[in-house]
Amino acid sequence: MVATARRMSPVALGLLIVDLMGALLLTVITPSFTSTYNLFITGRDFSILLLVALAQMIVLAIGQMNLSIGAIGGLVAIVESGLMVNAGTPVVIALGFGLLLGTACGVANGLLIHWTKVNSFILTLGTSYVYAGINLGITHATPFYHIPDVVSAFGQARTGAFPHVAIVTIVLTIALAVFLRQAVLGRQLLAVGGNAVAAALSGLPVRRVIVTAHGISGFFGAVAGTLLMAQLGEGQPTIGVTWILPSFAGPIIGGAVLSGGSAPLLGTVFAMVLVSLISDGLILVNANPYWVQFLVGALILAGVLLGRIRAVGLRDVFRLKSTVPGVAEQK
Amino acid sequence: MIATRTAAVRTRLTELRGTGLLRTLGLLALLIVTSSFWIFFSAFAMGFTSDFNLFFLLRSAAIAVTIGFAQMVVLSIGDMNLSVGAIGGATGMFAGWLMQVLGVPPALAVLLALALGTTLGFGNAALVVWTHLNSFIVTLATASLITGGMLILTQARPFSTLPDSFIAIAQVELFGMPVAPLVLITLAVAVLLGLVYRSTSLGREMLATGANRRAARMSGLSVGRVVLVAHGLSGLLAALAGAMSVAANNTASPGIGSDWVLSSFVAPAIGGTLLSGGLVSVSGTVLGGLLVATISSGLLLMNVSNFWLSVFLGAVLLLAVGLDRITRTVGGAAS
Repeated sequence: MVATARRMSPVALGLLIVDLMGALLLTVITPSFTSTYNLFITGRDFSILLLVALAQMIVLAIGQMNLSIGAIGGLVAIVESGLMVNAGTPVVIALGFGLLLGTACGVANGLLIHWTKVNSFILTLGTSYVYAGINLGITHATPFYHIPDVVSAFGQARTGAFPHVAIVTIVLTIALAVFLRQAVLGRQLLAVGGNAVAAALSGLPVRRVIVTAHGISGFFGAVAGTLLMAQLGEGQPTIGVTWILPSFAGPIIGGAVLSGGSAPLLGTVFAMVLVSLISDGLILVNANPYWVQFLVGALILAGVLLGRIRAVGLRDVFRLKSTVPGVAEQK
Repeated sequence: MIATRTAAVRTRLTELRGTGLLRTLGLLALLIVTSSFWIFFSAFAMGFTSDFNLFFLLRSAAIAVTIGFAQMVVLSIGDMNLSVGAIGGATGMFAGWLMQVLGVPPALAVLLALALGTTLGFGNAALVVWTHLNSFIVTLATASLITGGMLILTQARPFSTLPDSFIAIAQVELFGMPVAPLVLITLAVAVLLGLVYRSTSLGREMLATGANRRAARMSGLSVGRVVLVAHGLSGLLAALAGAMSVAANNTASPGIGSDWVLSSFVAPAIGGTLLSGGLVSVSGTVLGGLLVATISSGLLLMNVSNFWLSVFLGAVLLLAVGLDRITRTVGGAAS
């Protein structure tokens, strides 16, 4: 585990250098990049997508996946805005209930995976359709407009170029880092990800770990949904539908492995900075917006390929002999 | 060494087949459930048995089954393909472009689209084989590359002036029955796939690879070749489903395939195909696709909000994989 932590840092460092060069490049070629407004918008989008990526990272850390992050974010945003707009529920209660609901959705994922032993991919694919279906069943695809000003004002608030929603992201990111590094449960989480069988045999509370990871994932997804609702100023039923790709892009480019055991938090942060720089840069140079999707896909492949090269060396990556395709990541 | 490994693969496959009786019962149960829905909807959903409705139902079932097949063939080797929808969408647009802009005859356009789909599948396989990356990550990334590339090239503009002879495969009634020609195509594909898995060495090699990839490799199987074939076949079937959807929609639109992820897993999962590989059920996938199409059509006619269908399908998938799990445990082949 310590070795894993040490091995991950070059990825974060490499990404940081790429980020800095990218930012420098954008500053030189497009003057509007450093405008206060552009930095604010980019920072705000980044703050929300980073939470989505961290929601995936925490379940990847235990060797599982959560395909329902977007569905949870969307459902939470809808329930919160519905409560505030239609039922006149006070903001604090509505948001509190929403975040609780999101966490509960995550916990439900975790419990179902633990009980049924069904592959987390399929299970969360199933629950994502359940959550998304409930969302659309409530809204019939019509947004809840005119959420209270306190909420939408927070989504627009900034000090200079610094978006206030970023405060939430910074606090949660630091809290997650401290949890993974310091808390016993956080350490256990990485141990279960490293080897679930060994962890169970050595008496670690596997169920609690799985439920915690998925609960955190649901909570982060819920916060992301809430922040996006505040930013949009309305409860859009489509919140979260595009989150699958960025949720995996962050941790995978950042150095996470699907088999679990690593939680490259800094790598994920810098990977999401890169994704944000690419999206923003393409908008600023008036490129076709579809390039974003294409480039993020290419970036994921490049990221995992680099990881693979680091693990086995350049010569062995494309070697066909005496190899077993597709099982390299299984321990 | 090789002998013991071969024995290991055999044992695993025998274990999986040992669930034969249970699986036959499972198929029977699926048949009963599907028939019950038919009886229920015939009684309570106005117009369910009309020629008009049956035509659309069977057509959408045929497309759902083909999408399911595209996923089933990679599941059989223990991989998955998240780019099924991306390939279906991109090849559908390609076929539309060939026919509308270049005036290519439909038969040739479809052949070229199928070739493109197969090539994209080979691309997935090459990445999986060469880089040892998990098929989930590879196909998540290539799905984004393929859809992104398609949108960049087409500017998301649909092709809606397609030749009548092409549209016909989804729009005419055969022999005065409410059956579109593409239903027969799906049935033909089902028969072929059934033959491949039942009586060819290729089918057995795919299942052996899915049952235990390492052991299959150790016993001398060219796993790389099997992976290549399975992913290529998946791309081919995805392209076929894409062409069918284009014909059914009258238009090659860039949205085709964007919602295939769930349906691609639902039909095989309900039908008893093991998601971990080594065991497929072609007839189960056919029944699974038919069940989904039946429920969608019936709920639509009964004016149940389309959105609850999403909840329902999610629940059906969860139920199916739960049963799958139980079957495996009871069959003594839990892994």
